[in-house]
Amino acid sequence: MADKLSWTELRRALASRAGVTEKVAGTFLNALAEQLKEGLRTDKQVKINGLGTFKLQAVAPRKSVNINTGEEIVIEGYNKVVFSPEAGVKEMIESNQPSDVSHQPAEGDFPIDPIKKLGEQADEIVGLLADLGQDPNKEAETEEPEPVVEPEPVVVPEPVVKPEPVVEPEPVVEPEPIVKPEPVVVPEPIVKPEPVKEDKPKKPKKYHFLRDLLICVIVLLLLLGGGYLLIRNRLSSWLESLAQPQQPQTEQVEDTISAPPSDEAETESRSQIDMIPEGDIPQQQILDEFLAISDGIEQEEAPYSDLITTEEMHAGSRLTWMSKRFYGDKRYWPYLYDANRDRITNPSNIEIGTPIRVPRLTAEQLDTTNANSRAELERLRIEAEAACRK
Amino acid sequence: MLTKEFVSLIAEASGLSKKDAEQLLSTTNAIMRENLMAGKAIQLQGLGVLEIKERQARIIVHPRTGERTTIPSKNQLVFRPVANMKDELKKV
Repeated sequence: MADKLSWTELRRALASRAGVTEKVAGTFLNALAEQLKEGLRTDKQVKINGLGTFKLQAVAPRKSVNINTGEEIVIEGYNKVVFSPEAGVKEMIESNQPSDVSHQPAEGDFPIDPIKKLGEQADEIVGLLADLGQDPNKEAETEEPEPVVEPEPVVVPEPVVKPEPVVEPEPVVEPEPIVKPEPVVVPEPIVKPEPVKEDKPKKPKKYHFLRDLLICVIVLLLLLGGGYLLIRNRLSSWLESLAQPQQPQTEQVEDTISAPPSDEAETESRSQIDMIPEGDIPQQQILDEFLAISDGIEQEEAPYSDLITTEEMHAGSRLTWMSKRFYGDKRYWPYLYDANRDRITNPSNIEIGTPIRVPRLTAEQLDTTNANSRAELERLRIEAEAACRK
Repeated sequence: MLTKEFVSLIAEASGLSKKDAEQLLSTTNAIMRENLMAGKAIQLQGLGVLEIKERQARIIVHPRTGERTTIPSKNQLVFRPVANMKDELKKV
């Protein structure tokens, strides 16, 4: 709103319209402003017929937090000036009929017709809402007709006043009998709420029914699917355990035995763990083998004559990784150590550039189910780990 | 405070008769209404501004049915008090 009717303009208009001097109009307006303020101060509410109500609304004190310090502070309560326009004026402004003509008859006609119609509306709405049960609209809709009752007294003073002294308002008064533009406006709000409200009771029923059905079907499907998967899994695992009862056991044992050393600390801890469950058997074997080694190492090295390749040790490489690469499993790394004893002093810290012989292993050596080859591998591993500790 | 009381207070303060005051008040209201309808805001000296503001159209959703309806934009008569008046009435 760029345009503003200033105080002086208002005073002038009032003076000319009411047929008084500007001075009188000025004193009147000043008194009005002052009394309005005074009235708010004493009564907290000033009602002006034909315009609306000025109210003083209390805002309760509330807690808050100081943004900078995080301290809790209390924002004190205060009063706020609020204006609520009279129902007739409100409707006029909402419908926004710009012609000056239309609002004068509005004074006479508005309070009478809409009251009935709004009343009927309210009854209909209440009836419809009662079917739906509680509804927040109830309050809003039922409240509306109440303020409409107030403007009735307005009708009495105004039409009496205007025609008497002034010439100007007469053209404004003339259109009073033209009620036609008003009914056009009034039926609109009646039409709008009805289809909205009538739809409400119908739709929720369909909606709920469909939704419940959907949920039921989905839950059933999920249950069936879950049950099927469960049964299938159990059956298959049961069948497997029937078919191959021994394999998993041996594999587990091997896993514990074959732990490759990557760091010294690891090898230490692992060898300690391994020694305990293995018990006496490997130790006896170790003694036997040591005797054999003392007799002649050449005998042992003989099987490694057939080499796949010779690879230089490079930074980051490990015997276990080479074992994995050439034999398909890192468990066979002790054979690599065994084949390169003359070059490797510490298997967990091999000098870079050392050529490593990679022997071709026999099927027997690679067979982890063979007890002999397993014992051999274990022995070599213990030796290698002993070498790590030196 | 109702209009009658208000009018009598104005009459007392301005030295006019009650009847005159009442007449002037209703004329003032009429002028205000006309100007408001013409799209003008009204300045009330020492009080504030009465103006028409547009409430934007918005979509509401019925919480039960999920039905969407638009509420058309509408004009509202709003009173904006002057800072001075606000402060004066903050604590009463």
